[in-house]
Amino acid sequence: MLICPPIGHEYVNCHRALRQLSARLAEAGFPVLRFDYYGCGDSAGISEEGRVSRWLEDISTAIFDLRQRTGLAQTCIVGLRLGGALSTMIGSQRDDVESMVLWSPVVNGKSYLENLFSLQKEMLRFRPKPKRKHAQDHIDVLGFPLSRFLRGELEKIDLLTVTEKPAKNILLIQSDEGDGQSSLNGRLSRTEARLESQCFEAPQIWLPTADGSLLVPSQVLQSIVAWVGKTHS
Amino acid sequence: MKNVVTNVVTKEEAVLFGEKKSLVGVVTDPARVTGNPRAAVLLLNPGIVHRVGPGRIYVKIARALAAMGFVILRFDFSGIGDSAVRHDNLRFEKSAVRETQEAMKFLKSSKGVEHFILLGGCSGALISFETACCDEQVLGAVLINYPAAEDDDEDEDANTDLKQRRAAHYYWNFALFNLKSWRKLFTGRANYRQLIQVLRLQVKRLFASRSRITAKETPFAANLRALARRNVRLTFLCSQGDPLLDELREAGGDELQRSCALGKVTLDVIPRSDHTFSSLDDHDRLLEVILRRIKTMSLARDGTADSSELAFPAEAVPLDNSAVGL
Repeated sequence: MLICPPIGHEYVNCHRALRQLSARLAEAGFPVLRFDYYGCGDSAGISEEGRVSRWLEDISTAIFDLRQRTGLAQTCIVGLRLGGALSTMIGSQRDDVESMVLWSPVVNGKSYLENLFSLQKEMLRFRPKPKRKHAQDHIDVLGFPLSRFLRGELEKIDLLTVTEKPAKNILLIQSDEGDGQSSLNGRLSRTEARLESQCFEAPQIWLPTADGSLLVPSQVLQSIVAWVGKTHS
Repeated sequence: MKNVVTNVVTKEEAVLFGEKKSLVGVVTDPARVTGNPRAAVLLLNPGIVHRVGPGRIYVKIARALAAMGFVILRFDFSGIGDSAVRHDNLRFEKSAVRETQEAMKFLKSSKGVEHFILLGGCSGALISFETACCDEQVLGAVLINYPAAEDDDEDEDANTDLKQRRAAHYYWNFALFNLKSWRKLFTGRANYRQLIQVLRLQVKRLFASRSRITAKETPFAANLRALARRNVRLTFLCSQGDPLLDELREAGGDELQRSCALGKVTLDVIPRSDHTFSSLDDHDRLLEVILRRIKTMSLARDGTADSSELAFPAEAVPLDNSAVGL
């Protein structure tokens, strides 16, 4: 099992849930690898150096490492938010991913960025505005730098153009109605993948909460573990 | 790994430590250490955010400090981030202090470090302070947005007072300058009851004599005095846009002023920032102050600091500056 996290503030907000998901999967008997992309979390590199192309390479490296360590050929990827988009992109290129859980994946890069910008604008309503302007090569999105290059790469993401199946078996988890989740469902069902779709009225754990708490949607985790167990039995 | 910001090579290593090897952390240290190692710096979880910190600020701090020659350990307390949950009944305030001591023990045995500087935001600041009070290996602490008036479940009056003070902070700093808030006020959608309570509190505080506020010494003030006696250097770092600043001044009272005057304590207010220092601009200014303060603490221990480094800095806001936080 390979866990692909989101980036930026979403990465921080989802860390707790993904850690608990990994523990539950491990309890169910699956070896799990969680990792941070280059320039994110504990990994080397500064945040300004984040690149989609590099992160896709990181996922490939992680798949290779996981196979080396476990000796298992079958790989299942769980991707949350941007991690879901990256998993889909890499899976479509490789054709050797057995199963994939796409948990509220980012479907369209442009609308993902628009949401980030409006969240940043909202945040500035409740805090003093920063006085100094940062260098023009990146902008501030909730305390994480978004470089012009990364922005360009993210804008190009559109999962509705995917033609090849990202994995043989796919579980699409939707906990919000927006962001083209149902269109993605339609697109994936036209590929050769065996697709299952589940909807939850679960909180959007990647969003900041008023009291700073980190949410863990138990029902979603339970469902992922059950599906993985069923698929890989 | 080459630190891009400082162009200095630093090493990072994931570690497991503690009695049951259940605590997860990352040690960042300079690739080459010459002479005696400097004090190590421990970065303690800000609330329940894991060891990278909000906006990955702990990673930036660790790498910048390592480039200055410090050994840094940023780790997760039990039940936070990647560290396993404890199965005893110890309260977090106790277990976190114990685990901070385990972290010091680990660095002592693995890196040969004898002295430590603790750094933490919010609850991490609280644990840093508590650990400094009970462990003589601690030579200094950087306390970011120290929650001097923590919610007390048992004291309803104190809680109500705290909530009203925080609401007052919001009204004065944000709502007052927000068109939407004024619109709410004039269209009957504001919380009028809370507004009246807050105004009443402000009037009460305005007329309350200063002596009455500071007459009763808080345990926090007593601890400040004990730490000053032990020569432990403290830096309180506060966001200007955070209500905790007023609470810190109130809880510290005269003792905080005295310690500042003696140069044992410094209070730095980062202008135009919020509780979690959530912009990149906040990060830069926070990092700048942290590096300067930790360097000074370390030099003070070595006895090599000159008077200008230990004196109250020009950019730090004096305690009696009532403009800050209002």
